[in-house]
Amino acid sequence: MTSSLSSGSLYLDPQIRDWVLFPITVVMILVGILRHYVVQLLQSQPKKLPRAAIREQRALTRSAIIRATSANSPIPPNLYQSISKHLSDAFQSGAYLKDGGKETSGAPPNPLTDPAAMDGMMAGMKTQMVMMVPQMVIMGWINFFFQGFVLIKLPFPLTLGFKQMLQRGIETPDMDVRWVSSLSWYFLNFFGLNGLYRIILGGDNSAADTLSASPFGGGAMPQAGQPQDYQKLYKAEADNLAFSNGLYKWVGEDVEDRILRKYGKLP
Amino acid sequence: MSLTSTLETLAHYRAHNTRASKDIVEKGHVVLKGSGLRKLGDDSWQFLEQYALAAIDVGDFDSADDALQRLTDQFPGSPRVDVLVGIRMEATEPNDTVLKYYDELMTEDPANAAVWKRRISMKRRLGRVEQAVQDLSEYLDTFYNDVEGWLELADIYSACNQYTQSLQSLSHVLLLAPQNPFYMLRFAETAYTANDLQLALKTALVVIDMAERDVTSSTETPATGISIRAWWCIKLCSRKLLAQPNLSSASGTTAPKSLRLIDELATERMMTTYSVTDKQIAQGRDEVVGWMSATP
Repeated sequence: MTSSLSSGSLYLDPQIRDWVLFPITVVMILVGILRHYVVQLLQSQPKKLPRAAIREQRALTRSAIIRATSANSPIPPNLYQSISKHLSDAFQSGAYLKDGGKETSGAPPNPLTDPAAMDGMMAGMKTQMVMMVPQMVIMGWINFFFQGFVLIKLPFPLTLGFKQMLQRGIETPDMDVRWVSSLSWYFLNFFGLNGLYRIILGGDNSAADTLSASPFGGGAMPQAGQPQDYQKLYKAEADNLAFSNGLYKWVGEDVEDRILRKYGKLP
Repeated sequence: MSLTSTLETLAHYRAHNTRASKDIVEKGHVVLKGSGLRKLGDDSWQFLEQYALAAIDVGDFDSADDALQRLTDQFPGSPRVDVLVGIRMEATEPNDTVLKYYDELMTEDPANAAVWKRRISMKRRLGRVEQAVQDLSEYLDTFYNDVEGWLELADIYSACNQYTQSLQSLSHVLLLAPQNPFYMLRFAETAYTANDLQLALKTALVVIDMAERDVTSSTETPATGISIRAWWCIKLCSRKLLAQPNLSSASGTTAPKSLRLIDELATERMMTTYSVTDKQIAQGRDEVVGWMSATP
């Protein structure tokens, strides 16, 4: 009871509203928009894959396509066998590998030595930096000038559990939870402005995905840069092919009986 | 016709890849004269591409160049515009110049599928079939999923009477699009031409299996569309196979045991299709009846 009384008598200077609350919000919105454009500027063209690399990647699709229908395959046995054998031979000998299957080293290639993978990592780092640096600067600015400021009072009561969230930077145990400190206001904005960005900048803007790109969010590193050991994948795929060879059945195998039965010519 | 409905028609053509070049150019003039481009916004570039292609198609090169200029100004170095420029060059420039242009683009980016396909189609048009086949095989080795490319290869092969190779290309098409009865029918007809009657018969039956899902009785509903062709294929095959039972099959397919039943069913279906309805006698009925009753 006493705490609610004391909070009711707390009176905030309107200057705080004009010179702290609004500036923090406006600065954060503007920085978000700026970040969107900077990221757009930094984004390099998606790297074009050389022909050999595309071939290497898509070879697996070829085998997946023939496997997908093998239990009810549209092509007759001799054609199926020849395609399947050709693929499996190519996988065994590594004919589809980028370097024609000469490389035999067992260890997966080190991503740091491959310049192409390096570029991808750099691009990810660049966008991350653009995300992080402004946030750190703003946080430092708030911490330096407005530390311990109480900015706003929420219009609804909250339980004590929210104290941690709403009054960061103020070590007052018996202040009402409804008062929000400057640092907490920053965090509320940081996580809450995404909707606004989406309205201003459109759906797939780079300002809104703060979570995925911020150091707090998981999965910040793009997995695309991960190099694949195609030799191993090919070996596995060759096994899969052998497996679906066992499943193989031509759709035309007993089609005449199906048709005759359908028209009542066969019991 | 209002501008909005014009734009709608054009968008419909775009979405369905309709080659209505004359109409597109006429409508395009209207759009360009009015405030259509502004109304289209970001779609205007797609419209300009469509317009340029159609203008080249009908030989209106001034309009095409105008549209191309706008596109090049907006997207310098775009591969899509490069292809369009190439097509424009194909219309008027000597063939070697265009081929050289495509070659340059290909050395710049060896994985540029659109340019690659243009070059292949051009080689075929110039009669350098051998080069075209080689180029196309290489292309398909990289971009396996291109059904169009496999169909083209099958077409080139069958144009050169290489039906076995054509069948092989078509088998890839079937793997990529197993749900399409038209490709299956093409396979059957190519097999028939290659004198592999057993295979043709089986595949044509598969076409029927796919296309006549909703037909329940052999004598009530006439066959329509693709099934007519498939039934003809079946009839032809079964008739020949009945006359020469020892015909060998290159693919090692065995003829169905119930060949006579199949033959009868095919006749029944054909007679139903070319039947006498209460309104009129089906066109060509006399010929069909004559052919059916003639002993092979």
